Amino acid sequence: MKIDPNDSRLTAYALGELDETEQGAIEHELLHSEAARQAVEEIRATAEVLKEELRSEPRLQLSEAQRSSIQRKSQPAKSKGLFGPSKVLYAGGALLAAASLLLVIYLNWSGRRSSLENAFDTDRKGRIIGRGSSPGTVVKESPKPVEVVTKQSHPVQQIPVQAPTKGAEVQFDRKRQGAGVGTELIVRNEGVPQPQLQTGQLVQKGLVANSAVTAPMVPPAALRPMSGMGSGTGNAIGMGRVRMQRQLSFMSSPLIQSHESEELNTSGDKEVGRWLQKNRQNFNTEAYDRVVDNPFLRATQNPLSTFSIDVDTAAYANLRRFLVSGALPPKDSVRIEEMVNYFSYSYSAPKNNDPFAAQVEVASAPWKPEHRLVKVGLKGREIAQDKRPPSNLVFLIDVSGSMQPPNKLPLIKRGLPLLVEKLTENDRVAVVVYAGASGLVLPSTTCDHKAKILAALENLEAGGSTNGGSGIQLAYDTAIANFIKGGTNRVILATDGDFNVGVTNQGELTRLIEEKAKSGVFLSVLGFGMGNYKDSTLEKLADKGNGNYAYVDSLQEARKVLVEEMGGTLITIAKDVKIQVEFNPALVGAYRLIGYENRILRAEDFNDDTKDAGEIGAGHTVTALYEVVPAGKEGSLPGVDALKYQKPVEVTRESMSGELLMLKLRYKEPDGTTSKLIQVPVSDRGTTWTQASRDFKFASAVVALGMILRDSPYKGNATLGSVLDLAEAGKGEDKQGYRAEFIELVGAARGLVEGRKVTD
Amino acid sequence: MRSSEGQNQGTDVKALLHRLQGPLIRYAFQITGDVERARDVVQDTFLQLCSEHRASLNGHLEPWLYTVCRNRALDVRRKESHMNPLVETTAEPRSDSPDALISMEQRETFQSALKVLETLPARQQEVIRLKFQNELSYKEISLVTGLSVTNVGFLIHAGLKAIRQNMLAQPHANSKVLRRIK
Repeated sequence: MKIDPNDSRLTAYALGELDETEQGAIEHELLHSEAARQAVEEIRATAEVLKEELRSEPRLQLSEAQRSSIQRKSQPAKSKGLFGPSKVLYAGGALLAAASLLLVIYLNWSGRRSSLENAFDTDRKGRIIGRGSSPGTVVKESPKPVEVVTKQSHPVQQIPVQAPTKGAEVQFDRKRQGAGVGTELIVRNEGVPQPQLQTGQLVQKGLVANSAVTAPMVPPAALRPMSGMGSGTGNAIGMGRVRMQRQLSFMSSPLIQSHESEELNTSGDKEVGRWLQKNRQNFNTEAYDRVVDNPFLRATQNPLSTFSIDVDTAAYANLRRFLVSGALPPKDSVRIEEMVNYFSYSYSAPKNNDPFAAQVEVASAPWKPEHRLVKVGLKGREIAQDKRPPSNLVFLIDVSGSMQPPNKLPLIKRGLPLLVEKLTENDRVAVVVYAGASGLVLPSTTCDHKAKILAALENLEAGGSTNGGSGIQLAYDTAIANFIKGGTNRVILATDGDFNVGVTNQGELTRLIEEKAKSGVFLSVLGFGMGNYKDSTLEKLADKGNGNYAYVDSLQEARKVLVEEMGGTLITIAKDVKIQVEFNPALVGAYRLIGYENRILRAEDFNDDTKDAGEIGAGHTVTALYEVVPAGKEGSLPGVDALKYQKPVEVTRESMSGELLMLKLRYKEPDGTTSKLIQVPVSDRGTTWTQASRDFKFASAVVALGMILRDSPYKGNATLGSVLDLAEAGKGEDKQGYRAEFIELVGAARGLVEGRKVTD
Repeated sequence: MRSSEGQNQGTDVKALLHRLQGPLIRYAFQITGDVERARDVVQDTFLQLCSEHRASLNGHLEPWLYTVCRNRALDVRRKESHMNPLVETTAEPRSDSPDALISMEQRETFQSALKVLETLPARQQEVIRLKFQNELSYKEISLVTGLSVTNVGFLIHAGLKAIRQNMLAQPHANSKVLRRIK
């Protein structure tokens, strides 16, 4: 399999962050992919440019008074005076100096390349350099503090540049011409750090010298004796940069890594880990991927809109957590499709043997009445509790230290038994935990031994760090070992998503899950807690693992996900469900898919059965909305110039049919490999939203709230007040009270926004 | 091994101070947005270091210092910004320019990697600076920020990609990246 040039492992590789095994794997991949090699080169070059620019930011220092206050405090009461730096620091310095040496040579070489190309970097001329601010250097105490003034070619930081204080060294690089190479040679010959030199300085000198003067090039051969990793061949410069740089990364990374691992193995490790843990709770480290609203697209230029369904609901529960705690949610945590899909709608169930039925409703958009709003609803086949196929469940539970708060592990321990209570003797449950190490707490047990299962859950305790990777492996292995053909085979992962040791690479983790999903075992991800909640990781895992993802913030929510919607959560009735809509340009000027930003597929992916897409569970409803600009009213939208070589779109006779769009659905049976197609033509009867169904009103209220919280450019005249009115109008029967809760949340959001205005 | 700890502590701190004050102030400045506040934060950080049992920090000094510095800087920011209590959870003060990376007109104006860096979300900037300015490893950045190592890797990957694409899109003569790889 070819590695994707956009794989984040390539970045980790280029930056020397991989361990030996991973590094080897990447090198192997690189042999086969020109694009990946190119990517690695570009990443390295970018990193160097970035480092260089960051180095040129002015160096900042504490004031004299601040420094002496620290020094006073650092003196033990009965100081015997000042000695040189401790051995440990020296050792570290030597290692770092060795590492920096490699850096010098690499830069030197690339600098040389630039000069060969006659591409002299003019902004370097006359730049003032001095002691670099690189932290990776240890220096013997220097009698004089150094202030550096740089001429900033980019007014990025509005930092007042300090005037040099007494004794400051300010050096023009012109004076240093030629000195770089000499310095470097000295260092290389002696093989020990020059105490008064710092990495940054070395590097800059090296660069300057080489770009300004035609200094002799350091041949790659000179690198080898030093590295101690010389291979017999490759002395020709013509061997190319890739090879050269790969060697360099080989040489530099083990050095740096061994240095690191040495440090991490020391006895203080645990104590510091705990300390960091404690302090970490003081600030918010939640991670959300950026979401950019889908734009309006012209139907003539983009007649097809293709996306994967998404039955996740986590974003809504997460949003509720924010609003209830008195804060507006971060923009990127608001995923509108997950908000809409949190609620179920009264779509009618499929009549024939199809796994689901589709319904479309069209009316005006409440926030922009001249636009049309198209609501596409899918409803999965219901499966009665007694007809439910037997289940083989593996609870994979994160018991790391971060899971201690009451809304994490303790909530899991109260929530999962709700599900266990509903299971019968046909079902099996196993419990796998993971933290620093993972383990099988309860081997797969049939549910006539409920007491045993409940006791295993009851005894869980949090502590240790998290290695999500091997826990997932073990859970899948357990599920596969107890596989029930024709039944529900599922891993239920309960975590805050903070995987901090073990499989540390998101690409690798998702690949592992993707691989495991082929075994026919599905994945449910239950997100818990706050603070270091990793929304983006969890969504991706569920996405790759043929799974669903819900956020659980209360026992009530656990009941909704695990008991009321057990069918939908546990039983997949169709997988890889894709939606493609073809818009009729005769009626549609432009359209915009609301939400589903991270579910967009290419048009060709629709018919490609190897392309993964979302799953739909028993009884699930899935809702998607398009905002449509009628033909002729799209005037103000950005478009492209008329094409020179093609005529504008020629419409077919079907475009005169009065149909607004053609809805196409593809899905596979849960154990199938080829997809089936459903097609439904849709017409617009010109309904206004006031005449639309309650579900339509309620869903548009949810969308409008989402757009307001995202501060979407497409929110039109939507206000929290109008959202309230819409939601009230669409509330309907609301047996479980979810819609009433939504209305309360809108009120809470309104309070927050108004409160903010007052304090502004 | 570390029997000379007590004696050397003073010099230790001095060397650390010399080496890390610049990078730490720079880091705190990114959070507080004010150099003087940043200096205060770093002074506090080192004072705390002096009263800490140092043996337990053995090998973790740098991540420890960055973590303390980060916490203090966040405290300062929180106290100073009553106006906007969401500043931390939002963590995305620059999301107003999502199109900055794709608009042709703006492409021309990006001369430096730093400018592109500035358009990234605050958290991503932080991680990227910790990596390339303060030269921490993914693992250390994870310790400091509380993000998972995976996440750190992803943020850096995506950030570098944005910078790279932007620089590659510049006319050849201006593209430092192109010059380096061609």
